[in-house]
Amino acid sequence: MESLSRFLAFLADAIVNIGDWIRGLLLGAGLVDPWVSLIMKAIGALVVAFFPLMVVVFLIWAYRKVAARMQGRLGPNSSGTWAGPYGILQTFADAIKMLTKEDIRPQGIDLIPYNLAPILVVFASIATWAVMPFGPRLIGSDLNIGIFYILAFSSAALVVFLMAGWSSNNKYATVGAFRSVAQLIGYEIPQLLAVLTVVMVTGSLRMQEIVGQQEIPLLFQLPVTAFIFFLASMAEVNARPFELLEAESELVCGYFIEYSGMKFGMFYLGEFMNSTAVAALFATLFLGGWRGPWVEQAPILGTVWFLLKMGLMLLLWMFIQITFPRLRIDQMLAFNWKFLVPLALANLCVIGLVNKGITEWFPGGVSTWTRAGILLMTNVGIFLATWGILAALERREQRRRETWRAAQVGEVEVSA
Amino acid sequence: MTTEVAPEPADLLTRLQERFPGAVEPAPEPYEGLIVARDRLVEVATFLRDEMGYGYLSNVVGVDYPEEVNGLPPRFEVVYHLFQPTGGPLTLHVHADRENPVVPSLVSVFPAAEFQEREAWDLLGIRFEGHPDLRRILLWEGFDGHPLRKDWHEVYYEEEKKPFSSRWPEGHPVMAESRAPLGRNLRYPPGWSPEDWRPTADAWGYRPHDEVAEQRNPAMPVDRVVLNMGPHHPSTHGVLRLLATLEGERIQKLEPILGFLHRCHEKIGERNTWLGNIPYTDRLDYVCSMTNNWPYVLAVEKLMGVEVPERAEYIRVIMGEFTRFLNHAVSVGFMCNDLGIYFTVMLYALEEREFILDLFEMTAGSRMMCNYMRFGGVAHDMTDEAVGLARELAFERLPRFVDKVDAYLTENELFRARTVGVGVLPPDQAVAYGCSGPLLRGSGVPYDIRRADPYSIYDEFDFDVITAPDGDAYSRYLVRLGEMRESLRILQQALNRLPDGPVMAGKKKATLKVPAGESYGRIEAPKGELGFYVVSDGGPNPYRYHIRAPSFINLGVMGELCRGHLIADVVIILASVDITLGEVDR
Repeated sequence: MESLSRFLAFLADAIVNIGDWIRGLLLGAGLVDPWVSLIMKAIGALVVAFFPLMVVVFLIWAYRKVAARMQGRLGPNSSGTWAGPYGILQTFADAIKMLTKEDIRPQGIDLIPYNLAPILVVFASIATWAVMPFGPRLIGSDLNIGIFYILAFSSAALVVFLMAGWSSNNKYATVGAFRSVAQLIGYEIPQLLAVLTVVMVTGSLRMQEIVGQQEIPLLFQLPVTAFIFFLASMAEVNARPFELLEAESELVCGYFIEYSGMKFGMFYLGEFMNSTAVAALFATLFLGGWRGPWVEQAPILGTVWFLLKMGLMLLLWMFIQITFPRLRIDQMLAFNWKFLVPLALANLCVIGLVNKGITEWFPGGVSTWTRAGILLMTNVGIFLATWGILAALERREQRRRETWRAAQVGEVEVSA
Repeated sequence: MTTEVAPEPADLLTRLQERFPGAVEPAPEPYEGLIVARDRLVEVATFLRDEMGYGYLSNVVGVDYPEEVNGLPPRFEVVYHLFQPTGGPLTLHVHADRENPVVPSLVSVFPAAEFQEREAWDLLGIRFEGHPDLRRILLWEGFDGHPLRKDWHEVYYEEEKKPFSSRWPEGHPVMAESRAPLGRNLRYPPGWSPEDWRPTADAWGYRPHDEVAEQRNPAMPVDRVVLNMGPHHPSTHGVLRLLATLEGERIQKLEPILGFLHRCHEKIGERNTWLGNIPYTDRLDYVCSMTNNWPYVLAVEKLMGVEVPERAEYIRVIMGEFTRFLNHAVSVGFMCNDLGIYFTVMLYALEEREFILDLFEMTAGSRMMCNYMRFGGVAHDMTDEAVGLARELAFERLPRFVDKVDAYLTENELFRARTVGVGVLPPDQAVAYGCSGPLLRGSGVPYDIRRADPYSIYDEFDFDVITAPDGDAYSRYLVRLGEMRESLRILQQALNRLPDGPVMAGKKKATLKVPAGESYGRIEAPKGELGFYVVSDGGPNPYRYHIRAPSFINLGVMGELCRGHLIADVVIILASVDITLGEVDR
């Protein structure tokens, strides 16, 4: 009975306990502390690096399966060559195929950036996982500038796309690279402003602290901010309505058109890993990360909640990927600069003022619920104001279009 | 297109002869229409367009008569088919010298002639004086001669007509290739070397950019990029090459470069027997093979004077309308593919197409290459089972599909953002360029051959001609959607009234006698006006066999449509024009 409860206690925080156990083993083997810490960090880094890879292998399969079901197909399955139950091994087969393919290098490429880009694209998205809080005690490194670190690395993707596009010596790739600069720089601004709003409300850049502040998930306190962040991060990871860097039907493959074999595979992988990272980030910032029922009793549940929330965001991402048409570059930039950036700025100012006001007017502090309620009401206000302005603009546009059409029709009649 | 009342043909001839004395005469038997003097052609055409209401130049075709055929001297002939808003064709014949064929170009009067005159130059070597850009269009510059001339012989293949017997000298097949000595199977024009060759299209594309187009903003000159879209590109729907000059991402000039799928269909068609051409027409627009048989069969039936039994006419209409539905569904699906909704809408469309193809298989025995219509009827009767499936599709399943597409796409914000105002084609330009089908009706011109010049039994059905006013990609989508609904209406009427009876006039024959003469049969194919011009000299093969392919002629306006748009719009415009390369390149 006692062993069972000990086992359950071990299981309740399994990953941390396994870590402690390995540390104990190493110490018992007579290693001194700095070395043990180093080895533990190395193991942790490996685990953190392999986790997104494993998620992506599953995600690619899930994406294909979901897409197939939405399109009235079966998707990967075992009917042809055996690929595991429900075709779950399909991704591995694809990876092996990629690895055995010929590496074709076009003429006139800039060799160093050309070869560096596929490495960096995967590296940049793996690196963001270092500060992602998986559980109460489960985090690669709880940097005090965690969110800043993530944003810095996600911007690195921009440089990678530019490197790949420019070095490929291909016009489609170059156009893709141009677009990447315009798009990613543009959408980084609302993304940053949204994150800044979160940081202002939670009062910290530290990831664990941001999660710790969310007794009520921020989605229910700052829905407008969450919306801005979601849209901007969809653009940042190059997902469907904003999928202009690749734009298969126009630019064939965009910036990585000239890559083949596993280098192509790395870009493919990088894209899915970025989406996973963004889903995890959204889950952390707005859905309360690992917070959920019974996490106090069994911290391992925190990881489960986190993965579930991440999975939910990924499912949403998939649905949008499968059903949305792509915007045009001018429409997308107009949407960003004329709608998203002003909204994010206004949102930041208003939330900042309200947040400060709460602290000023209630020196004794307010309960979490009151605070959340005030923030939510503010958000509703922002939403209504935005809606009103958009509706007014739309009406004006409609009138303009009708007068234009009336003029056109009149002209045709005259000429006939 | 003006709405003037059409004058009577006899009246027309007298008016023309009054206006242009000595320049116009009626064509002798067995030809139709008028013979126009070469030097007055442009004036006559202008007069016909401006004062007689013949505003639509549908078809330009060259014919080579090296010897006396059908009682006229050796000559080159260019035949024009002009149309009024309603009614049949006015056929103009222009004769040119056999040794030095020169005909004035009609591009200044009808821009529609541009591609077709280039085609006639390419395949027959008739020079059109005053054509702005008379280059080869389907063949490459290293091609020796003009293949549709009767005295041109293929390198392997030195016979005039398909010599069935000579391929089997002693009961053994002889490959034509084996007769050609090694290395002699390719012939270049004299004085032409492939090493020094620079494609003329490319020479155009890579010219100093200032010649191509003006800078949009002279205060801030931008470097231009020449971008080749295709022939291998996911959105060109086949092997089409679009040569675009870009300023940033904006199209300054764009030209479609054709001929990657060219197999000289017309030359092969002239070698085949009359009957043997029917399965060959299936390969033109391989998406809708049923409607490809139809105009050819119509043209030959007109020459032969065959009456088609009523049941066969109904079956033709049923098959034709199912084909139109199928084509429009797939076209909308592919447009969504180009918009970036990869395969979702397209697979929904392909699912419906599967059922229609099942019906074709039940009736014709083949799914895509149906080879179904015959002179004087159709090859097989529709079984009760097939009628049952057709009823289920037309009454139950397909209406649901149209409603579904309508609900998903028509008011979709992103879909509208990408298509509204993209690739606007004004109605006068659409008519001038000879556009047809949804492209023309999407510009607000209510011209549908089923209504304007009814063939088969379309005058018995109740349906609307769908138009949309704006002329952009969205309008074309709306026209396609509406036409799917109208197709279903026609199908429901036809299936309700499908009579009993034979499906074939007379007996099935392998060899037929087609009286000498010329004939132009045209139908409203899903992509536009599909016309077949055939000339018979009474022999076993067509003397001339020409296809007026809607995709080919609709592509002529592509450059105009794309100017000033972004790369992203080019694929949408191309998808909304809706082409099949098998038909474009022939």
